[in-house]
Amino acid sequence: MIEGIDITHILIVSTCMFFIGVYGFLVRRNLITILMATELILNAVSINFVVLNKFLYPNVLQGYMFSVFIIAIAAAEAAVAIAIIINVYRRYRTINVENVHEMKY
Amino acid sequence: MSFESLLLMRHELLLLLAIVLLLIAEIGTNDSQKSIISPLAIILFALHTIVGFLPLQEGSLFGGMFNTTNIVATMKNILNLGVLIILLQSWKWLNAPENKVKVSEFYIVLFSTLLGMFYMISAGDFLMFYIGLEIATIPLAALAAFNRQENKSAEAGIKLLLSSALSSGILLYGISMIYGTTGSIYFAEISQSITGFEPLQVMAMIFFFSGMAFKISLVPFHLWTADVYEGAPVAITSYLSVISKGAAAFIFMVILFTVFKIFTPVWQDMMTAIAILTMTIGNLFALRQNNLKRYLAFSSIAQAGFILLGIISGTATGMATVVYFILVYIFSNLSAFGVVSIISAYTGKDSISDLNGMYKTNPKLSLALTLALFSLAGIPPVAGFFGKFFLFTAAAEKDFYILVLIALLNTIVSLYYYLMPVKAMFINKSELPIAYFKTDKISQLGLAISIIGMVVIGFASPVYETILSFCFGI
Amino acid sequence: MNVIFFYIIAAAILGFSILSVTSRKILRAATFLLFVLISTAALYFLLQVHFLAAVQLMVYAGGIAVLIIFSILLTSNVDFTFEKIDWKKQLFSGLLALGGAAITILTLLQFNFKALIQPQTVTPDIRSFGRAFLSYGDGGFVLPFEVITVLLLAAMVAAIMVAKKSKQ
Repeated sequence: MIEGIDITHILIVSTCMFFIGVYGFLVRRNLITILMATELILNAVSINFVVLNKFLYPNVLQGYMFSVFIIAIAAAEAAVAIAIIINVYRRYRTINVENVHEMKY
Repeated sequence: MSFESLLLMRHELLLLLAIVLLLIAEIGTNDSQKSIISPLAIILFALHTIVGFLPLQEGSLFGGMFNTTNIVATMKNILNLGVLIILLQSWKWLNAPENKVKVSEFYIVLFSTLLGMFYMISAGDFLMFYIGLEIATIPLAALAAFNRQENKSAEAGIKLLLSSALSSGILLYGISMIYGTTGSIYFAEISQSITGFEPLQVMAMIFFFSGMAFKISLVPFHLWTADVYEGAPVAITSYLSVISKGAAAFIFMVILFTVFKIFTPVWQDMMTAIAILTMTIGNLFALRQNNLKRYLAFSSIAQAGFILLGIISGTATGMATVVYFILVYIFSNLSAFGVVSIISAYTGKDSISDLNGMYKTNPKLSLALTLALFSLAGIPPVAGFFGKFFLFTAAAEKDFYILVLIALLNTIVSLYYYLMPVKAMFINKSELPIAYFKTDKISQLGLAISIIGMVVIGFASPVYETILSFCFGI
Repeated sequence: MNVIFFYIIAAAILGFSILSVTSRKILRAATFLLFVLISTAALYFLLQVHFLAAVQLMVYAGGIAVLIIFSILLTSNVDFTFEKIDWKKQLFSGLLALGGAAITILTLLQFNFKALIQPQTVTPDIRSFGRAFLSYGDGGFVLPFEVITVLLLAAMVAAIMVAKKSKQ
């Protein structure tokens, strides 16, 4: 707990970060930058869990644990994503969405 | 907790054992002995499926993180059957020379994703649910990118992975808010803490709903589906469209029924709108497809809309009809995909116009595909009719008449496009029909199991009765 | 003092997040992402959850960000600048994100978060994390801890499978 800081302030920061990630996901045209946007989203959620746990329910570790697992899963996701992205690159010689066959969201 | 109580996790432990044995087999064999891995995997999985049907106690483990009930065990058995059929059907494709080098990886990764689904559907808290969901999707993306020869395959993989990452982000944001407002991640505790319509909690549920809608590919969150289904190998497309979708729909329903039961009116309204959109758009787009995999992708979007009809009722009957429909849908869709995968493995063709005049050259396959499409459309003698009919009655019981009417209209539209391939096979003439080919025994077995299941389950009322006796409503 | 620190960290998180999704040089975007992740770790330090801060630094900043930078170096030309994004798309996505953020924040502000009054009995140090990871009763996390190993194994096998070539 930080003296003098309301919990909603931190939640507003993480919510903004979440939606910045969503914006990036929608706007970006490069596979790696899209992946980076999803990392932002996951990071925002993980901040949420930590803050809620710290401020509201300090005697149970559930929120912290959730964050640890989110981080671990994000790592696995990034590893598989990058393996596939490199595969895409070897096929198309580019990782920009326009040049990758009819790949539209 | 005693050692015996671990036996409640029998399905999971056996599958894990199969994965470990396959890993050992992969390490312990040299290149010339690799051909034993496929039969080994199928035999192990068949044993696992059979043992799964032994009666299982109900109970919960690890402080409520893992629950098993009769309906959950039934669902696991249904998924097992589906995966067994897919394994048999993909035999020919997997043993083609260009894929042979990664056979054992294919089985290990596929079984891991199934293990994730098992943990997901028997989760008692949001953490296990989330971990199970991710195990069920992340490695699956790599499977979708399995074909190195096909450009579209890698694209399908990355598209699946990125859209599922976005949807898990949205889902997790909802879960974090639920955790913040109730102070727990356990389903049982949360459902007790939610007492009224707190706006933040309703919003959290909407986030959760949207995240799940991505996974089950409901409109307007379906944009990834068609491209992924088209690009992925047929075995993985059928896995995504029946197994992943079935498991996700089941746990979605369970969570709505238990955790969010206070918000029933809210999610019923949302679901009515989404069900109508999903059925209509899925059908309208399916009309325009010529690629068979894309065509089946849109058909599976429309079918997901029908599944919502059972969930929306919120009753035990509704739950039973959903599980029964998933069972029927697994058999019918796998019959259709089985034929498509046989055709594409032997001839490399995968569009509807290629089917022209196929009845003359390959009558048995044509009949199988016709039966499967009849079942998907819901034409009486086959099981698909009963599946859809039960869903409609479940929704009508709770007075969702307008929704049922629109669903009926959609069924009529769907008749048209389900009969298109049938017309192509039986009536259209072609200069160059697909030449006669002889199918190998194992693919035949896979196809036969799914067709027999599709025909028999419609007439075996004990199946539905048993499922109904395990179900619960709000 | 802590209040000032918090606002500095919050500004850093938001500023670098925006830069990392708008920067037109890919390597810069990745570097900004790295800064966001490090600022998040700083926030965890400020909240005195040292274990998570360490995990964040090691796995996220040290692992994922470096992995991303590696893959950029493997696949992209570093000097390459993205072309401008279509303004319609930008406007649409921006409005969607802004609208979503506004609705979410307004709903958040309506909720009355009540902090627990009771004294803190558990400190989030490594000892209690370790105990929670390995206990199997109520509130224990040994099952997810074990199950996630399956995910890591499957992800590893999957990544190998994607990269594997046939021998011809």
